[in-house]
Amino acid sequence: MISAVLHRLVLSVPVLFGVLLFGFLLVQIVPGDPAMVVAGPTATADVVAAIREEMGLDQPVLVQFWSYLQRMAVGDLGRSMISNKSVTSELGAALWPTLELMIGSMVWSVPVGVAMGTLAAVVRGSLIDRAIMALSVAGVSLPIFFISLMAIQFLGVKWQIFPFIGRPGPWYTAEGFMALFLPALSLGSILIGPVARMTRSSVLEVLKLDHVRTARAKGLSETRVILAHGLRNALIPVVTLIGLQVGYLLGGAVVTETIFSWPGLGRLAVGAIMSSDFTVAQGTIMIFALGFITVNLIVDILYSLLDPRVRK
Amino acid sequence: MTPTPIKRAGFGLAAAMALALPVAAQELTIIRAQDSNHYDPPRTTAQSGAEIIFMLSDTIVGLAEDMKTIEPLLASSWDVSDDALTYTFKIRDDVSFCDGKPMTAEDVAWSLNRWQDPETKSPVRWRMGDVKSITAPDTTTVVYELNAPHSELLYQLAQSFGSVIDKDTYEVLGKDFGVTGFNGTGPFCWESWTPRDKVVMTRHDGYNWGPANYENRGPAQVEKVTWQIVPEAATRTVALLTGQGDISPYIPFIGYSTLRAAPNINVIKSESAFWTNYMGFKITKDLVGDVKVRQAINLAVNQEAMAEDLFFGEVEPAYSYVSSGALDYDTTLDETLLKYDPEKAAALLDEAGWVLNSDGKREKDGKVMEPLAISFTGEWQQTSEAVQADLLKVGIELQIEPMDSTVYWGKSATDEFEMYVMGYPYISAGDALNLYFRSANIPTPNRMNWNDPETDELLVAGSQATNEADRAAAYAKVLHKVHDNAVWLPIYHRPMQIGYSTKLAPFEAHNIYGAGLYKGLQLTFIE
Amino acid sequence: MSVTSTNVPPAPQTSGSIEGDVSQEFTAPARAHWLRRLLKDRAAFLALLTLALVILGAIFAPVLATHDPASNSRSVMTPPAWMARGNAEHWLGTDGQGRDIFSRLLYGARLTLLIGFAAVGLGGFFGSLLGLLSAFNERIDPWIMRTMDVLLSFPAILLALALVAVMGQGIVPIVIALGISSIPDCARVARGIAIGVMKQEFIEAGRAVGLSNLQLFNRYLVRNAISSIMIFISLRFGQTILIGATLSFLGLGARPPASELGMMASQGRDFLLFAPHIAVIPSVVIFIIVLSANVAGDALRDVLDPRLQA
Repeated sequence: MISAVLHRLVLSVPVLFGVLLFGFLLVQIVPGDPAMVVAGPTATADVVAAIREEMGLDQPVLVQFWSYLQRMAVGDLGRSMISNKSVTSELGAALWPTLELMIGSMVWSVPVGVAMGTLAAVVRGSLIDRAIMALSVAGVSLPIFFISLMAIQFLGVKWQIFPFIGRPGPWYTAEGFMALFLPALSLGSILIGPVARMTRSSVLEVLKLDHVRTARAKGLSETRVILAHGLRNALIPVVTLIGLQVGYLLGGAVVTETIFSWPGLGRLAVGAIMSSDFTVAQGTIMIFALGFITVNLIVDILYSLLDPRVRK
Repeated sequence: MTPTPIKRAGFGLAAAMALALPVAAQELTIIRAQDSNHYDPPRTTAQSGAEIIFMLSDTIVGLAEDMKTIEPLLASSWDVSDDALTYTFKIRDDVSFCDGKPMTAEDVAWSLNRWQDPETKSPVRWRMGDVKSITAPDTTTVVYELNAPHSELLYQLAQSFGSVIDKDTYEVLGKDFGVTGFNGTGPFCWESWTPRDKVVMTRHDGYNWGPANYENRGPAQVEKVTWQIVPEAATRTVALLTGQGDISPYIPFIGYSTLRAAPNINVIKSESAFWTNYMGFKITKDLVGDVKVRQAINLAVNQEAMAEDLFFGEVEPAYSYVSSGALDYDTTLDETLLKYDPEKAAALLDEAGWVLNSDGKREKDGKVMEPLAISFTGEWQQTSEAVQADLLKVGIELQIEPMDSTVYWGKSATDEFEMYVMGYPYISAGDALNLYFRSANIPTPNRMNWNDPETDELLVAGSQATNEADRAAAYAKVLHKVHDNAVWLPIYHRPMQIGYSTKLAPFEAHNIYGAGLYKGLQLTFIE
Repeated sequence: MSVTSTNVPPAPQTSGSIEGDVSQEFTAPARAHWLRRLLKDRAAFLALLTLALVILGAIFAPVLATHDPASNSRSVMTPPAWMARGNAEHWLGTDGQGRDIFSRLLYGARLTLLIGFAAVGLGGFFGSLLGLLSAFNERIDPWIMRTMDVLLSFPAILLALALVAVMGQGIVPIVIALGISSIPDCARVARGIAIGVMKQEFIEAGRAVGLSNLQLFNRYLVRNAISSIMIFISLRFGQTILIGATLSFLGLGARPPASELGMMASQGRDFLLFAPHIAVIPSVVIFIIVLSANVAGDALRDVLDPRLQA
């Protein structure tokens, strides 16, 4: 298993390089002129030209790429072309809020989704099953911005239960915890549907497998069959689904973070790409790629832990 | 410390969970819409930069709320030579920086010299005039010498770009000045900045040299100020309503009537805000090269309806390029302004050869009148869509390309559009005209490609005039000229409006560079 | 575990075969029945009917619209007819510019559906092609799947942002971005399904008979895998529309005065406190379209995939 993990790590290298290249090329062809941004609204043309030269934007593309790779090799992500802040510190500041938001949204939505899906599978065909499935289909069909806006409108403004602007502190502070509520609620709600559906169908699938049939034939109760044999096996695709959903979740986080003024990576990436902040955009792309590779690595390991067939 | 504000208690669950938010009454949260790229005074031209810098540092002179009265600030007094070439400032000797170090005339001269140093690459260096030298002969005197008179100099020196900062801190931080740290003499001191999120500043305890327009000359009454960015306009309104913020100058127009009706919110409005939103024509482009077409577009747009319907009567419809209240505005302009008259617009277009085709669109020599307008997103997109709908009624099909503000600046320096949008702050007619209509300022900020030698001469004459009448006369001529040529489509004059919690004592809004709170010395919680 | 499976193993409900025999699932008589069975499912019937109505409404927008969708009026923020202050002139009310919401919805649905169809078609075609090739040829498999991994590291929204920055605002970059970002998913699923098919005896048999690779690919693999892949692709339609609307909400979509549902919702959010219908109506329409697509897709899957029938 260890060698498999190592092998996986090695295989991640070309992926990482591809991401590096892609990220570089992407920001290269963006027409927005960062020198104009730095110079500001009232700058004259020669001021802009001078700034462009100073920022190295007049260098050939390959030179820029080479220096980019060199810097990446030593972990130097450069400085923001706009604020001149170190990209690492910008990413560091934005990483935790996003992780917090993602974990906060999964912490409640995954168990809820798994429970709903399992229940639906157990009572398949019943009214409850149909209701749960209808609910989860509705859940995956609701636009996240609508959920967020409604959450603000009712829980924030009308009933004034939760605050909805910014992140006053980390989650373990009272203020930070309260502020995390609405964004995590909105973001998590898009995950319930897929998790519930996947759990239901994979529980149903597993129930048909031979060893489950055997267990049932041995006279074990249905609940025991499901909990002991069904659910664990059924969770495998759910785990992989969550791995896949990280990208989707991140997309949702962009919207959630914008609506709730949450200072995370999604907003950072959008802001950077929109403002042609090459270095920050590259940095966020790196972080996303790293995050994706890590999550999938973890998923693979979990997969092998959960699936006895792979464990061998 | 007073108990948790009532509004916070409204968060029922918070209270129920015994997680009452520990907010001290002396801490103030200001809600705003966007961040600046950094906070280095001579290098940032953003309104969002100025509003922070005014609080963190001081300028040599201040400006009162009326936008006309120059107040002593770091300079307690000044003399201007008869030829208007030499300004001698007497600098206060009791001022100190946030780190406790005393400030001297040398710091003032160094800061101003840094502004004009080509190495600094300040985009607004031209505001300083044609500088000969800026020196500090002793610790309380600064001599500012010019090669040519610059009638607006004192107004320009009141802008945030010339804010005095500590040389030593700057030398330590270098390009990180205004990014990771700041050291100024303002009523507040830098604590932290999280880009796109918030700026936190704390009270400068020793401060007592505020400008005379404030009753409280210092120190500031609030201990801590957090400038929180909330990008969503509607959220800013409700954040203020629910007490999650105490002040916001960035409320969408639709929100003000609700805020005025809310028992916990006051709204102040200042009419002498000099901020005008307009759409400019790239006059070198074929479609809008004909002055008749530009006049027709001016006549086809109903600014009054827009001000009422789109902006809920909160703005003043604009027909002139600068507000009539601004210094050196020429009232004889009033009769020539192009007001809503779609029939006349249609007639002008016919006259210019743009006739209606079978689709109801204007056409000339096989070309359809479809000018492209580049626009910001948000409020500006609403405005340009309203212009689009108005123009559709006279057969002009305006194309709109909305984009993010940061991309917009680059795009607006190109030649790839017929119209562009812009809102800008100014202190006088001369300030506005010098910025936009000098041929040297092509392609930006003179995005119209207005290239007229006579205008250039008149602008120089105005800016170097040594008496008010000459200056006003020169600028009046330019005003007439550009209005006659309809190089802009003025849309509305934007008043400064600030919504604030009734927990705060009433105050007057400032207008300098759109920074409505200016030094923040007026902000006080009612105990 | 296998070294090539950095990618997620095929999900059970879409995988070609774990136990059943795919080759027999879609035999002719079964095909004849599926549509009838689909229409028997009341929810699916309703969903399909709704989709059909929306599509018809979108196609005949110029006929059905009561107003020019771009033209404004002085009556701004008029609520729908059934509410106080509403009037029959604008039965779904007007937006912040005084434009007729019903007319804008028709044109908006047009664009929204177009974006969805184009993106799903684009991503589905290239994705399944890559997935099938990947399953068919073990040598190019790792290359294709690594490329998919790279693509997958860019969430649709980021990809769209980047493309919009490069190509300018409009629906083309959105369609391309959504298309590209559905390629890896489609490829993975297609690959999973195809691997299932490849394990079937008839492939071995075909090889034994001496069929060429192209014949095998075309005749056996594509034909046997395509139905399952199509189902998966149709399942993506709802999600693609949803992401498309979200992108338009972020301001990356169609240029005004064209209307798009996500854009309409986005423009309405500033009025949420005062005239909620401006944001709520287009959001609800998006919800209805996506919900119908999802319900119909689910039913289709259930009907076509007998293994999942309870």
